[in-house]
Amino acid sequence: MEYLADGLAAALHLLLHLDDATRAAIAATLLSTGYAMTAAMLLGLPAGFALGYARFPGRRTLRLISDTLLAFPTVLIGLLVYAFITYRGPLGEWGLLFTLPGMAIGQAVLALPIVVSWTAQAVEGLDPRCRETLLTLGARPLQVARLTLWECRYAIGMVCVTAFGRVITEVGIAMMLGGNIRYATRTMTTAIALETSKGEFAQGIALGLVLLLMAFGVNLLLAFFRRRGRA
Amino acid sequence: MSPLYACRDLVQRYEGREVLRLPELTVDEGEVLALTGPNGCGKSTLLRLLAFLERPASGRLHYAGGEDPRQEVTLLLQDAYLLRASVFANVTLGLRLRRQRQGLHDIYEECMRAVGFAEPGELAGRDRRALSGGERQRVALAARLALRPRVLLLDEPTSSVDARSGRAIVEAVRACVGRGTTVICATHDQALMTALAAREVCLGRRWDESDPAGAASSSDGGGGRA
Repeated sequence: MEYLADGLAAALHLLLHLDDATRAAIAATLLSTGYAMTAAMLLGLPAGFALGYARFPGRRTLRLISDTLLAFPTVLIGLLVYAFITYRGPLGEWGLLFTLPGMAIGQAVLALPIVVSWTAQAVEGLDPRCRETLLTLGARPLQVARLTLWECRYAIGMVCVTAFGRVITEVGIAMMLGGNIRYATRTMTTAIALETSKGEFAQGIALGLVLLLMAFGVNLLLAFFRRRGRA
Repeated sequence: MSPLYACRDLVQRYEGREVLRLPELTVDEGEVLALTGPNGCGKSTLLRLLAFLERPASGRLHYAGGEDPRQEVTLLLQDAYLLRASVFANVTLGLRLRRQRQGLHDIYEECMRAVGFAEPGELAGRDRRALSGGERQRVALAARLALRPRVLLLDEPTSSVDARSGRAIVEAVRACVGRGTTVICATHDQALMTALAAREVCLGRRWDESDPAGAASSSDGGGGRA
């Protein structure tokens, strides 16, 4: 057990004097997660809102597909995106493989069903009296939609924070599509996996602690949205 | 003068089950109508139809008001919903939806006083969570009064509030009637009906328990009204 204590002590030292490699891993993690979440929210929020709010033929089928994709294995996502962005793939000429944007595409694919399905669920779960109240106050269809979205804001915030938490802790996609290149695509999770395999616990634990701190922050946000959403 | 509402053979069904059948009903401009009857007889359904929240399964519902009835008719739900916003934002929501920006504070004060709040300013920034059930109902009514509706539909407005809130609601509705607003109110509250001097229309029975003939009866004999 001594190596764990040593590792923890070294991790705290590393955290206090962040070296270039640790800093680069944190930056790569935040950047790729940021790109992925931006894309997932831009595509997923309108799609999820439409699925939860509008009534159109095929809505249930789309909802079923989106719910099923929640259980999509991350290695399969990595494999599929790899097939598209590899040099022989349809997007090969864009040179995305082993880059942060390439990784972010995979992570966005991971986050998208979460954002779509849970946004739809948040909208469906809204008190039906909300829509009726808006209509009885003379709201026009677009105003009803806009205010419905506003009423779901805390639930949707919770969806985004949950998806962020899922993406930032993901390792398989980052490893397959990023290649774990030091100072480039090495994220905190892939660095932890690598350092652990090398027996370098200090570096691994230091990065793990940073990840834990981020998870704590994410959970604080989740708790905030949950509390506000219940009101 | 043609009536404001004219309904004939109005039927509503939910998932194939008939929840309302109304052979005839007319409502004149400025009239006060009390819809009575046992639970499940279709009072709330009728109000939702009159508020144009839903379309009837069959029959005719004619409204002789403006071209966009939803801008003239408003409905206060039995268990009123307030948005996740301040009391002021809730009361002035309908006006802001109509792009009105002037005089909101004055209208807010006036409508909140009308529903019995002595110090509306103190409540303006309060969140809906900080209101009791009776206060929520009164705030929701204030939001409807702010619109100066041509038709005010009320679904059991006093059923879930205490006596004090109930009295405030009755007074506010009476003032509304005094201004010539058409009021249609589903209620079991005899005091409310008396206070409003409303014409009573009894919807009679649960539709899944009896045959639909002779659907509604009017306490004033109706002259072909209901």
